[in-house]
Amino acid sequence: MVSTAAPTGASASVGVPHKRAVSPWNPANAVTASRFLTLPPLWWAVAHGHHQYATLFLLICGLFDKLDGLVAKIFDCKSAFGEVFDAIADGLCYGFGLILVAAYGWAPVIPVVCVLAFGGVNTILRFVYAARAGRTVNYKSYAMERIVGYTGYLIGFATSGTEVRYFFWAIVPVFAIILAHDVKRMLVDPVPA
Amino acid sequence: MNELVPEGVFRFLITLATGGFSALWVVHDILFLARLRGKDTRDPLIRDQRFGYVMGIVMGLIGVVGALRYNGVV
Repeated sequence: MVSTAAPTGASASVGVPHKRAVSPWNPANAVTASRFLTLPPLWWAVAHGHHQYATLFLLICGLFDKLDGLVAKIFDCKSAFGEVFDAIADGLCYGFGLILVAAYGWAPVIPVVCVLAFGGVNTILRFVYAARAGRTVNYKSYAMERIVGYTGYLIGFATSGTEVRYFFWAIVPVFAIILAHDVKRMLVDPVPA
Repeated sequence: MNELVPEGVFRFLITLATGGFSALWVVHDILFLARLRGKDTRDPLIRDQRFGYVMGIVMGLIGVVGALRYNGVV
């Protein structure tokens, strides 16, 4: 399976249509995939009550998330598959982390269920939007980008024991407002050309 | 084995990562929101940016208050 990348550099400037094949087996996707390696030690740390180790493994997972984009730039291996894979990795890592901290009683269950449900609804709506728009472009939402960052932090609040109830309950209304805004944009507003 | 760093250092690092980052984020989104003044609000992209920055400021403030609560200030 090969994805295509947008042309870059001198070859892009001559006006000749050119698409460079990018293998999914590239360094950026390797970094993205390596995030999954932090999940078993995270589980171990939570299961054994090691708050600082759990926070460290989560931090490493978050650093890999930031690193894959940089690696994609350096090695010029950006691809549509890479973007989707990154989004899937985000969902799996954060979803796993949230379920883990709730299961071990490190975080309140109801806000965790709300966050997972909101995230699930948003994912479904993105597919609906892609079908509506007739293209598989990534739906960009500035607010949703920020709430995803908050969600990553949320697991860190649980592992570090930082004002857990406050942070977990505070995200619920904020996430609900952002989801309502995105529902309107994806289902009601006209699709931008 | 239970601790990587002393409790005080851990608390300081968490405060820095939460409160410090949140405060920077509030400033970042206020500046970006200010740059949108005068732009066409009928443009859906501009409207989405504006909403995103406002939500970013709200989340940043939640982070700052949380860090203050964590340290017993609020």
